[in-house]
Parts: sequence; structure tokens; C-alpha cells
Amino acid sequence: MDWLFHVGRYFWMLGKTFSRPEKFKMFVRQLFHEIEGLGVNSVGIVVIISLFIGGILTIQLAYNLMNPLLPVYLIGLGTRDTLILEFSSTILALILAGKIGSNITSEIGSMKVTEQIDTLEVMGVNSISYLILPKIVAVVFIFPFLVILSIFFGLLGGLIVGPFTGVVSLTDYIDGIRYLFVPYYVTFTLIKSVFFGFLVASVPAYYGYFVQGGALEVGKASTKAVVNTNILILLFDLVLTRLLLTA
Amino acid sequence: MIEVRNITKIFDGKAAVKDISMQFPEGQANLIIGRSGSGKTVLLKCILGLYEPDSGEILYDGRSFTRMKSAERKTIRREMGMVFQGGALFDSLTVEQNVRFPLDMFTTKTSAEKANRVDFCLEHVDIRGANKLFPSEISGGMQKRVAIARAIALNPKYLFCDEPNSGLDPETATLIDDLILMLTKEFKMTTIINTHDMNSVIQIGESVLFIHQGEKCWQGNRGNILHSENKILEDFIFANKLYAQMRREKTGMI
Ligand SMILES: Nc1ncnc2c1ncn2[C@@H]1O[C@H](COP(=O)(O)OP(=O)(O)OP(=O)(O)O)[C@@H](O)[C@H]1O
Ligand SMILES: [Mg+2]
Repeated sequence: MDWLFHVGRYFWMLGKTFSRPEKFKMFVRQLFHEIEGLGVNSVGIVVIISLFIGGILTIQLAYNLMNPLLPVYLIGLGTRDTLILEFSSTILALILAGKIGSNITSEIGSMKVTEQIDTLEVMGVNSISYLILPKIVAVVFIFPFLVILSIFFGLLGGLIVGPFTGVVSLTDYIDGIRYLFVPYYVTFTLIKSVFFGFLVASVPAYYGYFVQGGALEVGKASTKAVVNTNILILLFDLVLTRLLLTA
Repeated sequence: MIEVRNITKIFDGKAAVKDISMQFPEGQANLIIGRSGSGKTVLLKCILGLYEPDSGEILYDGRSFTRMKSAERKTIRREMGMVFQGGALFDSLTVEQNVRFPLDMFTTKTSAEKANRVDFCLEHVDIRGANKLFPSEISGGMQKRVAIARAIALNPKYLFCDEPNSGLDPETATLIDDLILMLTKEFKMTTIINTHDMNSVIQIGESVLFIHQGEKCWQGNRGNILHSENKILEDFIFANKLYAQMRREKTGMI
């Protein structure tokens, strides 16, 4: 029944989060700060991982589709659809849960154990809304952009690695990524990314805000936050895929 | 004046604060003393409304804080300044931004007016040339002083300090005590200070509340604390041999 308590308290926290900001100017200031800290600072890792995964996917698909009866454009097509449908939203979210999520838990958690949050409360600031709302808005806002970026660099990775290693020619690859393109897949992945963004910000914020103890507990809370965010991302992925991808 | 009436706070079936009543008049240093774990912080957090007491009442100049709704409490919160045990400066903000934070949050002053107020507060705590530094870049004593500057930024009527000089060398600790007393007199604040430092008691203890295992055990001031007949208080005070000697010299006792 422990989880029921956490779910209840999580929704209580969300209720407090979505109340009118104390001072709108301060909210905007925090929002830009978070977009930079959580979003812009994640661009590097997204680009690197996507380039590699795109390249690796292309090699693996080329290897699996070596049968001469199968058309070569399947390599590009397979790379594209795997990136769009699963990698650039779900797998990326799992990775960012590690980066952004642990960052959020440790920041809020250390503010909690050093009484910075109590300081806000004594002043009469709604600390939950002040600290957590800008993070959720920033991450939900930035996630779709990171997904688009990831798709682009994943495809670029295949484009570089495929011809370079000789597993597929440049024209075959480009034909492949243009063949039978389903725009709805992009919509689907962007919808998913909004949900994942919300989880990646709010679940770790929860674990940070309710941490008790000292630095050790903050570390433990970070680990718990990342694990549980990952599980929830996969659960949501399953549900959303079933709901949104049925013909 | 802050008045506390029969405050009890229970954690997991055990009372951390038990039926404490006390008056804290304005313009003087009101100390709460007691051993580690005696309930000082819990009592202070009850007064601040960070913990809801299980029973009892808290009055700010006659206004019952306990019965107020959270919206009403906000107006009283604007009149409070708090210095936490570790300073609790916002570590993502500079010294200057920390002191300006309450002004940004709650006032409509222009930036020039805010800058003036920030300078005024920092000067009062004797911090100069550290405006652009982050909390991690200044010493513990400076952090405490910046925390005091932030606490007085909105010109509070009530100032609360939880062990303001813990972790500081005796000389810096004395400076902080003097500073708090000076500000209390200058701005006529109602000040409550938690401490387990006997030096502070002797130096600024104009009113002293001694709590033991969550209960009010003794009440007095720095003038009569060394002569008290209270056994538990004696154990607390004379854990430090120096004070035992001071009493012997003063009274010729023992
Ligand atoms: N949030 C809490 N939940 C449960 N028990 C608590 C909580 N806060 C404090 N206590 C308990 O209440 C008692 C009093 O703690 P408190 O922090 O008030 O002591 P203190 O006098 O401030 O000590 P110190 O001088 O070490 O700061 C302790 O036994 C502590 O374990
Ligand atoms: Mg304490």
C-alpha cells in the first residue's frame, strides 16, 4: 500500500504546482533559467547519442537484410522508422531521465535538506510551485525539440556511417528514408514526448521535494527517481502505442 | 510580542514539544536553549508555521496565527525574517541576488530602490565587496551574515534565528550575537534565537527559556541563570567547567 501513498502525495504535489505563480516575472525568469539549464545543456548528449545510434541501426539493418530478394531501400526506411517510432522519443526519454531527472532530484533535494525550501515557505512563497512549475514547463516545452533534433541527427548518423562503411550506398539510403514516409509517426512520437517530458520533470521533482535526511538520502532519492521514471516511461510507451498506433 | 500558549507537537506518538507556554517581548533577545534534540528547532518551526502544532495557540501581537487561513498567514509571513541553522542561502543565486530575492518576490520597488536596500542590508551586517560571489565562495561566518541581511530585507517585525553561531569560531560567534542584538534594538524587532551556546546566553540572553526533552524547564535571564537551583539546568550549564568556576567566584558556593 506504500505506492498508494506516493501516488496520492504526487498528485497533491501536482495540485500545488499548478497554482498561480506568486509573481509572474519571477516565474518567467526561472523558466528561461530552466530551459537553458535542463534543455539547451542536453543538446550535446542528444546529438552524440543520436548520431551513433543512427549509424549503428543502419549497419545492423544492412546486416539483417542481406538477402538479395529484399530491396536495399529497406535499410534507410528501417532506420528512419525505428528512430521516429521508438528511439528518438522513448529511448531518448530514458537517457534524459538519467541526465535531467537526477539533476532535478539532487537540486531540489539538496535545497530541501539545507532548509532552503523552509526559507521559501517562511517567506510565504509556495515553494512547490516556485521550484517545480518552471521545471515541468521547461522540460515539456523542450522535449519535442530534442526529439526532432534526435531524429535529424540519427538519420544523419546513418547517412554518414552507411556509405562510409559500404553497407549501403548514399542514394539507396536517401531513397530509403524518403520511401513510404508516414507523417503520422512524427505526430505520434511528438505526442509521446510531451508525456515523457512531463514524467521526466515531475517524478524526479517529487523524489527531491520529499527527501528527508542529508546528502546520502539525496543520492539515494536520485537513484530511485531515475529508476521509477524509467519504469513509468515504458509503461506510458506501452499504453500510448496501443492507443495511438491501432489501425 | 509573540506569545506561545500550551504548544504540543507530537511525532510518531512521541512529543517533541510538550505543553510549552512563553512570551517573547519585542526589542530584546529572546533565547531558547537546551541540549541537542531537546526540541528547540521543532518549537521554532511550530512558531513559524512550518509544523502545525497538535494543540496550543500562537499569537503574533495578539493575532492568532494558529487559527488563520493560509492566505491570512501570508500577510504575517511578510513580517517575518528567518535565519536557519546552516544559513540556507539559495546556492544558485549570488550574495546580492539572495538579499534581493524577498524584494523581487514581494515588492514593486524599482531596481534602483532594490539595489539601495540590498546595499543597506549588506552594510548593516558588514559585508562588502562580496556582492557577486556565490554562497559556496564565501566563509560560513559570511554566509550567516548574508542570511541575516536577507532576513531583514523586508524590514521584518519578527526575526528568528536557529543556532545562528553554530559551527563558527568564538570570535565570529560573538560578532553574530552582537549583530543580532544590535539589529533587534535598532529595528525594534521581536527576536527569538535558538542556541546551545552558553556564551551567547551570558552575552545577549535578556530572556532565556530552557527546554529539556520537549518541556519548559526553566525561564529567566542571563542575570540569574548562573544562580538557578534547577538541577537539570545546572547540568546543562556546568557541563562547561568555566561556568562552574564563574559561579564559585561570584557566590562563593560549592
Ligand atoms: N520531522 C520530524 N519527524 C519526526 N521527529 C522529529 C522531526 N523533527 C524533529 N524530530 C524529533 O524531535 C526531537 C527534537 O528535535 P529538534 O530538532 O527540535 O532538536 P534541537 O533541540 O533543535 O536539537 P539541535 O540542537 O541538535 O538542533 C528529536 O528527538 C527529533 O528526533
Ligand atoms: Mg535544532
